[in-house]
Amino acid sequence: MDKTKIICRCEEISYEEIEEVVGHGAKTFDDIKRLTRCGMGPCQAKTCTNLVAMVIHEQTGTPLSEIPLPRIRMPLSPIKLETLATNSTTFSTVKSVLDELELEEGRVK
Amino acid sequence: MHIENHPVLGKQLQKPVTVYFNNQPLLAYKQQTVAAALIANGIKKLGESRKLVQSRGLFCSRGRCCSCYMTIDGENHVRSCMTKVKDGMQIYQSLGDPEIRSDENGY
Amino acid sequence: MDTDVLIIGAGPAGIVAAIETASKGLNVTIIDESNLLGGQLRQQTQMLQSLPSPYQSMRGFELAQDLTNQLTQFPIRYLLEHRIIGIYANGSLGITDELNVFPIMAKKIIVATGATENAISFPKWTLPGIMTIGAAQTLVNRDFVIPGKSAVIVGSTDFAMDIIHQLIDVGINIKGIIEQQPTIQAREMKKVNELYDIGLPFYVNASIKEARGIGEVKEVDIQLQDRVFTEYVDLVLVDGGRSPILDLFYQLNCSFGFGDKLGGWVPSYNQSFQTSVNDVFIAGNATGISVHGALLITGKIAATSVCEELEVLSREEAEKQSAELWKELESREYTDVFQERIKHIESYKSPMLKNQFIS
Repeated sequence: MDKTKIICRCEEISYEEIEEVVGHGAKTFDDIKRLTRCGMGPCQAKTCTNLVAMVIHEQTGTPLSEIPLPRIRMPLSPIKLETLATNSTTFSTVKSVLDELELEEGRVK
Repeated sequence: MHIENHPVLGKQLQKPVTVYFNNQPLLAYKQQTVAAALIANGIKKLGESRKLVQSRGLFCSRGRCCSCYMTIDGENHVRSCMTKVKDGMQIYQSLGDPEIRSDENGY
Repeated sequence: MDTDVLIIGAGPAGIVAAIETASKGLNVTIIDESNLLGGQLRQQTQMLQSLPSPYQSMRGFELAQDLTNQLTQFPIRYLLEHRIIGIYANGSLGITDELNVFPIMAKKIIVATGATENAISFPKWTLPGIMTIGAAQTLVNRDFVIPGKSAVIVGSTDFAMDIIHQLIDVGINIKGIIEQQPTIQAREMKKVNELYDIGLPFYVNASIKEARGIGEVKEVDIQLQDRVFTEYVDLVLVDGGRSPILDLFYQLNCSFGFGDKLGGWVPSYNQSFQTSVNDVFIAGNATGISVHGALLITGKIAATSVCEELEVLSREEAEKQSAELWKELESREYTDVFQERIKHIESYKSPMLKNQFIS
């Protein structure tokens, strides 16, 4: 197998880069993520979750059923910050920090 | 190529629109996505990757993989597989990250 | 915004769940990212077999239209071209229409987010022209676009066999089907044999050694057991099987179990199709990848459970209805899938992954 092949398309992390950190003790997707940025791009691991699990499985022999899922955080898909901040004044949980900035002539004060 | 007469669904492409890719006019049809309309016109490279600067195109077509990011009507990183064409739409490949620190953006 | 029942995903399972709950007088909201109802059924032009009664055998897009027509009888709130961005501390879900974000609070949620196609990686699989086989089907049957002149297929599930027939029908030259395993994965041998008969090459124990091309794919090296050869193609279609979409279940703090035949990690659920989170129910391919008939039945069972919990259906009636639906489910889906589903339900109380979500 050619280990230069890409596993994470977004952050462009190769098989061998993942193999290396697994060799250093990474056991889960989140371990690999913290060491390589794998899964931290725009798709947020939606494409590479199963591919990475397969690398861990091939390198360590761990059954797929024992390789946990990566942590999935909000927002679930890409969203404009502008959208996230708009019209949410009654809804403090998505109130963006942008709401709290005071602007003067289009610039932050 | 557009499918003028689909073997099961027949003639479905009714409403032509013009979209612009790198300022060149292209024929598309209402209800098509931007990615689909470009592929119909033989354009598969929709952008370049951020780190290794490699060509990228449509991959999942479900809005999940973000491989089809393009700059559409001035907005960057738009999922072209989830965006429907509009007459006069301006479409550019997604090439690198945009400059966000500009006067226009308050910096 | 408040609702009795929030249904997430307007594919076959979601629509059936909406029909069932709305017909009992509940206030129902259905949300989908697309502008049309029907989900992935919209681009399925093949005949669907083994649909439950009262459905006759019909094509996927026809079933989508049939289900959509049934929905129009009820006062349902549609949130099309809306997506969920996550869950908030008070239990409401954040919804966006791309302009704003607003919260919605539901008494019960039925999540029917379906399945996603798995990727297969090989050197230069990121080149344009290399896409999932479902993406090619969408281009051909929904957007009416021919994605390329000649293609190789990587993978050999039933899902791929249906699509290969459709690609051939619009004139795409299929140069080969490449399967890594020693046998073809599809179960419906009739469709496989039809492809054999027209001379389509199947390669087993095979893989893509490398794809090449500048700006887009032009050729692939195919690795067989004893040799490597090159095919000149402008399309490589990846069929890595499908898995349940888990994003939202994870956010909702649902537990998960693992079932190989269900598609890998699957949210835990009991025989009411209730997840480990009391007010969250599950339906469709998210419960494990199955045939179209099964998707409809799971939607109905989940809806029946919700109707019972919201007291618009007596316990007795719900149990009777559910038992019948389970019998029908058993008769419609593949035995090994059904058995794995039962095993998955048995592990409901001892899930392999729980309390994953930390806000």
